[in-house]
Amino acid sequence: MTAGPPDHRTSRPKDLKAYKPMGLYIHIPFCKKKCNYCDFVSYAGKEDMIDGYIEKLINEIHCSDLGLRISDLNTVFFGGGTPTLLPPKHFENIISTLIRHWKLDIGHSEISIEANPGTADLARLKALRSLGINRLSIGVQSFNDRHLKTLGRIHDSNDIFRFYDDARSAGFENINLDLIFALPGQTLDEWKKDIETAINLKPDHLSTYSLQIEEGTPLWDMTKNERITHYALRVTSEETEAAMFEYAIETLAANGYHHYEISNFSRPGFECRHNLNYWKMGDWLGVGAGAHSHVDGKRWSNTEKIEEYIHGSSPTPHASEQKKEALFMGLRLLEGLPAEKFDGFEAEVEDLMKDGLLENEKGRVKLTRRGLFLGNLVFEKFV
Amino acid sequence: MDIEKIRNFSIIAHIDHGKSTMADRLLEYTGTIEKRQMREQVLDTMDLERERGITIKAQAIRMEYQGYELNLIDTPGHVDFSYEVSRSLAACEGALLLVDASQGIEAQTLANAYLAINHNLVIIPIINKIDLPNAEPEKVLIELKNVFGIDKEDVIMASAKEGIGIAEILDAIIKKVPPPKGSNDAPLQALIFDSHYDVYRGVIAYIRVVNGIMRPGTEIRMMGSGTDYEAIEIGTLKLGLQPKTELGSGEVGYLISGVRNVRESRVGDTVTYSRNPAESALPGYQPIKPMVFCGFYPVNSGDFEHMKDALLKLQLNDAALTYETETSAALGFGFRCGFLGLLHLEIVQERLEREYGLDLVATAPSVVYKIIKTDKSEELIDNPSSFPNPVEIESIEEPFLKLTVFTPSEYVGKIMELSIDKRGEFKGMEYLDPTRVMLTFDIPLSEVISEFHDLLKSCSRGYASMDYEFIGYKPSDLVKMDILLNQEPVDALSIIVHREKAYYKGKLLAEKLKEVLPRHQFEVPIQASIGNKVIARETKPAMRKNVLAKCYGGDITRKRKLLEKQKEGKKRMKRIGSVDVPQEAFMAVLKLGS
Repeated sequence: MTAGPPDHRTSRPKDLKAYKPMGLYIHIPFCKKKCNYCDFVSYAGKEDMIDGYIEKLINEIHCSDLGLRISDLNTVFFGGGTPTLLPPKHFENIISTLIRHWKLDIGHSEISIEANPGTADLARLKALRSLGINRLSIGVQSFNDRHLKTLGRIHDSNDIFRFYDDARSAGFENINLDLIFALPGQTLDEWKKDIETAINLKPDHLSTYSLQIEEGTPLWDMTKNERITHYALRVTSEETEAAMFEYAIETLAANGYHHYEISNFSRPGFECRHNLNYWKMGDWLGVGAGAHSHVDGKRWSNTEKIEEYIHGSSPTPHASEQKKEALFMGLRLLEGLPAEKFDGFEAEVEDLMKDGLLENEKGRVKLTRRGLFLGNLVFEKFV
Repeated sequence: MDIEKIRNFSIIAHIDHGKSTMADRLLEYTGTIEKRQMREQVLDTMDLERERGITIKAQAIRMEYQGYELNLIDTPGHVDFSYEVSRSLAACEGALLLVDASQGIEAQTLANAYLAINHNLVIIPIINKIDLPNAEPEKVLIELKNVFGIDKEDVIMASAKEGIGIAEILDAIIKKVPPPKGSNDAPLQALIFDSHYDVYRGVIAYIRVVNGIMRPGTEIRMMGSGTDYEAIEIGTLKLGLQPKTELGSGEVGYLISGVRNVRESRVGDTVTYSRNPAESALPGYQPIKPMVFCGFYPVNSGDFEHMKDALLKLQLNDAALTYETETSAALGFGFRCGFLGLLHLEIVQERLEREYGLDLVATAPSVVYKIIKTDKSEELIDNPSSFPNPVEIESIEEPFLKLTVFTPSEYVGKIMELSIDKRGEFKGMEYLDPTRVMLTFDIPLSEVISEFHDLLKSCSRGYASMDYEFIGYKPSDLVKMDILLNQEPVDALSIIVHREKAYYKGKLLAEKLKEVLPRHQFEVPIQASIGNKVIARETKPAMRKNVLAKCYGGDITRKRKLLEKQKEGKKRMKRIGSVDVPQEAFMAVLKLGS
């Protein structure tokens, strides 16, 4: 059965037995302000395009030739950008389309939305919850106001606490906090404080990412641009970065969080189903500007430009090597992968085990503790 | 052609003083080239020459003007190629000495002018670029008087760019440059002053007939190498080759003789007839001796044959380039290459990379050391890694240069400091005018080939210029310094240093290597040692964290690209033992003085 990039014809898959769980990613590329480290598909000052964009988005959902498969749609993820910038009526539109057109079962699906503190008040959070959105992922990044400034965030720590309380009041029972470490000039003690503050809020899920400073972002100019000799900010040393990661792993585990993916921790049972589907190389469909899809062994993505997206442009196919991708994605999960998935890569696995980066535990090949820190040395063997 | 109507001349100048533009203007003015055919700087044909603004290979072109035949013989403008300059000048009776009106006399003005004077050429002094707003022709007139004793009234004021003074220059060439002396009746003697390899025609030698008449279809002999060939085609040079049935005494032209590479028709050699040979060759022939050596290694060992082929092709056209295969324990199979100087080295490296698409590792350049062993035998060594055991060495000698530096007087202090730091021995100082000075030093070649020129430029804000000539070998207290990475010696990083500077350089090199080596899974000790004694040590810490952040919105492609980039980066490095060494590490050795 084939499902390449949707070509706006409705070709129905013939083999109806091959149903697999399906995730849906919906990209909302609008922000009030672009953050200093942001290298994602998001734009500030284009709010006037929101209506046209949502119209096109709903159209894309309608036109997808994957309709029949969607009865197994079990996760939806609104990512951004800042999805909470949208008025709730747009979510109502999208979700009712999914229910009608793709038979979304609100009771049994994980429906996540990303949110930035201060971009929605209690009333809006309540409205989102009442539409069936049941998981909220808050872009906290840091509780330290100085570092929030460096990152170019529009909120301060007080906004975070208020927003978190509002979210709980609105009935969100599955909340994730995103935290970033290895911020320029950040000390280990400051990071420890961030982790402790996060734990005190008792979130259900925590993601801790180390900051990637990408070329072309303002933060790059502040830290790494070779044409600038006196940096305003100092990049964290690799030693400190490792100590920060180590601290997060130890402390979160001691507080009952399950470390299930390199950067992800959760209360048992609160692992993010939508993301698990990525790491397990399930099928997912991405709609909206810059969204990526992976269905039946094929990958493609939409244009990153909002204008182009609205006016209609065909998706770009991506070369995909299923087997290798499944290995480097799957190894991000701490449970690893069954050893038999590595046939053809025995030599690589042996070398990596010799280096102490991989181990075989009861027939599953997984990252060692050391491997968690040096994952790229493992993953690069599978590209 | 009536020999009385022939004028053979060169243009000599310091780099950037406008030589190529002047040549263009002369060709245009004499109608040799139509204006619309004119590509700027016609004589520089190699891309690299255009880009670097220097003339690497000499060429010649014939102009006709007022019934005269004017042969312009172009000369390379860089000190590395001074032997080629001297051969070009040997083919002339006159030289246009071009001096920039704002820069004044520079090191290569002087060096080239002395070469011309030594060849008894008539000098026509020209102050060029007088149209520039910062031109100071009066000052340059004083310098010309002080340095060469040239009178004001003999100097032509010109601007090649604006076409000022061109007619005057052409008149001076006809009136002042004497016609060639020589006899059509004497046995053939023709000087090869340049040659180049053409894919279709083989080697094209540029010649100046000194005596006799050259005709095609006869057997000729290269007197230096003693080999015979047939003169297949001869002719004169305009923008292309113009075949002729004879070239008489005094004429300049080309010779195609089935020679397959330029080493068989060496610059400076004399061509004569095999049957009625001249009694002796023309004076001044020298086999070319490379002065600077370095190892070129393909990063990818599978490229060895490709590199060999590329060097062979480059050598067809570059008689000064030498190479032989060499093996390094660290780098595998590669080539030990010999060059006239550092610029020559850089040009060859660039051509290998650019024209032949090779990724290569170049080891630090070395000079040829003379080792006097305890058994009194002598050995010449151009590679630090083949240095004999210290107990077998009685003494070591290294090549020295006479270095001439021209500078505004305010930078004298800094230049003295630099030269003495580079083991230079101060020899003398002369004022050209109240503000400009000529300094001379004896200095080891090994100190000049690294980054001396850059340092000289930076300590004089770009105003100082330099030139040098080889003066011979002198004893020095030298030792071989080895580098060990993760306890393993890396032969390609060994260098020869002066004993007094060994500690300082060892420390500096270890620090630089620490900077450029990537982190590995393990700690990498970096040691500098002399014999078994470690004189400096640094440690590159182990890699602590290297893992990708989240897969945003299922974008696997982005993740793959990052991993692929990381993998590619490793491939471009050379694995030595268990350590991945980037090209910058080998370059680090070069930059030890700053």
